[in-house]
Amino acid sequence: MSSSSVEEITDQSNDLFTQDGVLLKACSGRPVNELNSIGMLCIVQNSDGTKSIEWRPSDIITVCAVQEQDWALVNAIGRRQRTFSGNLTADYATARARIIRMPLNELKIFRVTNRNQQMSFSNKVGVWQSTFFFQHGNAEVFIAYLKSHVKTAKSSRDRNTYLVVEPTDETRALNRSFTELDIFQENTTDVVWNIVSNLKERPYETTMEAFSKLSSIGLDYNSGSQLLYYGNEASSKRDVSEEVADLLTKSMVAAEEAHSVTKSDEYEVISMKPTLPPRPSIPRSTPLSQEKWEGLQDTLGRVTEMDGVKQLIFRGGVAHSIRKQVWKYLLDYYPWHMTHAELKALQKKRTDEYYCMKLQWRSMTEGQESRFTEYRDRKSLVEKDVNRTDRTHPFFAGDNNPNLETLQDILMTYVMYNFDLGYVQGMSDILAPLLLLMGNEVDTFWCFVGFMERIASNFDMDQAGMKHQLLQLQQLVMFASPELAQHLALKDSGNMYFCFRWLLVWFKREFSLIDIMRLWEVLWTGLPCANFHLLICVAILEAEKEVLISGDYGFTEILKHVNELSMRIEVNKVLSSAEGIYHQIISAPHLTDQIRIILGLTPLGTSAPTEDDDAPEATGTNCKDNDAAANVSTSGTDMEEAVLEYDGIEISIVTQTVWALLA
Amino acid sequence: MAKTYDYLFKLLLIGDSGVGKTSILFRFSEDAFNISFISTIGIDFKIRTIDLDGKKVKLQIWDTAGQERFRTITTAYYRGSMGIMLVYDVTNEKSFENIKNWIRNIEENASADVEKMILGNKCDLDAKRQVSKERGEQLAVEYQIKFVETSAKDSLNVEYAFYTLARDIKAKMEKKQEASNPPARSGAHQIKPNDPMRKPTSWLSRCSLL
Ligand SMILES: Nc1nc2c(ncn2[C@@H]2O[C@H](COP(=O)(O)OP(=O)(O)OP(=O)(O)O)[C@@H](O)[C@H]2O)c(=O)[nH]1
Ligand SMILES: [Mg+2]
Repeated sequence: MSSSSVEEITDQSNDLFTQDGVLLKACSGRPVNELNSIGMLCIVQNSDGTKSIEWRPSDIITVCAVQEQDWALVNAIGRRQRTFSGNLTADYATARARIIRMPLNELKIFRVTNRNQQMSFSNKVGVWQSTFFFQHGNAEVFIAYLKSHVKTAKSSRDRNTYLVVEPTDETRALNRSFTELDIFQENTTDVVWNIVSNLKERPYETTMEAFSKLSSIGLDYNSGSQLLYYGNEASSKRDVSEEVADLLTKSMVAAEEAHSVTKSDEYEVISMKPTLPPRPSIPRSTPLSQEKWEGLQDTLGRVTEMDGVKQLIFRGGVAHSIRKQVWKYLLDYYPWHMTHAELKALQKKRTDEYYCMKLQWRSMTEGQESRFTEYRDRKSLVEKDVNRTDRTHPFFAGDNNPNLETLQDILMTYVMYNFDLGYVQGMSDILAPLLLLMGNEVDTFWCFVGFMERIASNFDMDQAGMKHQLLQLQQLVMFASPELAQHLALKDSGNMYFCFRWLLVWFKREFSLIDIMRLWEVLWTGLPCANFHLLICVAILEAEKEVLISGDYGFTEILKHVNELSMRIEVNKVLSSAEGIYHQIISAPHLTDQIRIILGLTPLGTSAPTEDDDAPEATGTNCKDNDAAANVSTSGTDMEEAVLEYDGIEISIVTQTVWALLA
Repeated sequence: MAKTYDYLFKLLLIGDSGVGKTSILFRFSEDAFNISFISTIGIDFKIRTIDLDGKKVKLQIWDTAGQERFRTITTAYYRGSMGIMLVYDVTNEKSFENIKNWIRNIEENASADVEKMILGNKCDLDAKRQVSKERGEQLAVEYQIKFVETSAKDSLNVEYAFYTLARDIKAKMEKKQEASNPPARSGAHQIKPNDPMRKPTSWLSRCSLL
């Protein structure tokens, strides 16, 4: 009932959630030889709408994982064998008889033991009917999902035991002494998603009223999930997110080494498929207009509503006529609080500074240059790239185009500004749209500095920054689109290297110059969460999921397909779905700390308050009101504040001024 | 799916940034040249099927970014390649010196029996030449690798280079297949895998010296 809107029912029964790598430890009425076999523990929706817990044995099969059929001819090279376990089993029919099934409405009690790795279920108090052991990590995610479908109460006698409280049973004389807590008054996810789907129809009206409700539910939900860290086991249990991170790191390393991807268990976690709530479609807004922008400055030219401006830009971007101005703020060249007079002084200072650095390399003699290999190398690298940057655009086209010289000058000056980083391929791509917009060499330089500040780690010597992001992307895809993640893993593409170009130059090669301006300005706002650019990747991939999976695209086809998406992606559509995915993720009942951290949210595990702690966690919601000085930066502690502010539906928390402008 | 080819070879183009890897590939796959090409970020590949001694050979040619910094990513794609083109720019001394580093890079990241070939590209730019053809040949002899000067711009020796590399791979592969299915007659003599390299002459005259 609660999730029939979540899942399209196409099959007889529908897997809502599956957890691989679950051993059957005990089951009343089953022969001993069936015990200790591995399988998948699922929550399924039956054709009549009811739900069951189901365990299915999965017999280990060997998959000859040839990268693609084409390679079969070439025996010596590129062929490997792998063992997989999972739902690929061939003789499903034989295995079928061994399926264990328990309707959710019969479930009365369950227990979690063995450092959260073991679960037992029963339909009556006193005997345990079946017991399962979670080989990979623990049962945490499964329990979180289960609890979004049944109301539970903790037993006062055994802190690891949960009683299932049926709505109709409220009045029945269920041993009240057992009941310590009644956690859910109503199904949380349903309420949240009602609000979100209302958003679709009446986005702005719904949110204001909804937000108070939503945030209080959020708190209930949080306190509910705290119960996952029960009693004295809290300190000894291993965080599931750590576990997954480990496995991912392993698989990433493994993917780099030809023959090491042999352990079947490394992929099993990937096939864990909890469902996300439905995706809200949040409409894009119109760009920040000149009129509004001017209205947001005081008489001296100070921008007092920085957060509000960022909200507006996040929703709709910036009108082209004022981009030149607004970008200077977004890229931290102009501080928001400065008056016109102060800005003028700043600009003069920066101009002097720029020409001073420019002179440093300009005044180098040929002789000096000939004895300075590193400098010479950088110079020639810059030259090569400048000659290959956006040459099809009229602004950079043709022989002896002076704009190419400006590109060259700015990049060389940047080498002097940051000699440690120097010039790395991709930087000319980043610079070109800035110059195209600004026209002015000095302004362009300082905006470039601001942009580079945000993405400097993309250009690390050891590429650590890129690898880290690719790993985070992998984790996000696994969470937001498990089937896709599984497909990618099967096709040796789990390391997400095929997204390298997207991330290195922030999608510069994937969009036209005008579209990239829109995308970048939205991303620079830092809203609605940290690493939103990774959710852009998820959104693009999610849109291609069908093609990739149903076409059974392999390693090479995936790369080709992704490369060929260039110039075929609609910027507004992708922004809207990325935002939708953001809401799906943060409202998911099984949201993990790993994902929270990537999105800049406070992890629950580390701050775990005591069980009696009723103090609301998200009191930061209203720090917007005292506003002007509030500083939303991307740095660690400040981020926490910002994200709490935007938790829930962020439209609802725009400042009064912006609210008035939106209306 | 019906196969439209008999063999599929994975080839790789490596070499410093700007030596013309993408241009060579574009010439071979599209038979075109574009002076205002964009630098390669990440990795891409192109396909062309050629006819080799009556067999259809599908070449899947991978093009990587040249800058050293990206090597940790690009080497991930070396795996499984059967032939590698090492490209330098005859107007750029440094790119020539770096060929040795690229060879070391291959040894560390590609399979040991991968076929290799050295290409001295941009041989149309005689006025700017910094590396003579003799030095290229010398290096090739030193490493026992075939060598040819090319011009992606003037379409010189690009076809030849790919055909030669593909032919060598095919020969090596057929030799291997023979070795794993020895002919019935006993005492069959097997060809030594390391035949002394026969130096082709056909291309020698095509690129002018200095
Ligand atoms: N004259 C001449 N120019 C060439 C030739 N081949 C490439 N070029 C030019 O050299 C420059 C670099 O060529 P690319 O093909 O982009 O170089 P690349 O090796 O792919 O470089 P990266 O992608 O950065 O690794 C381009 O401006 C080409 O037009 C050639 O045979 N002759
Ligand atoms: Mg290239």
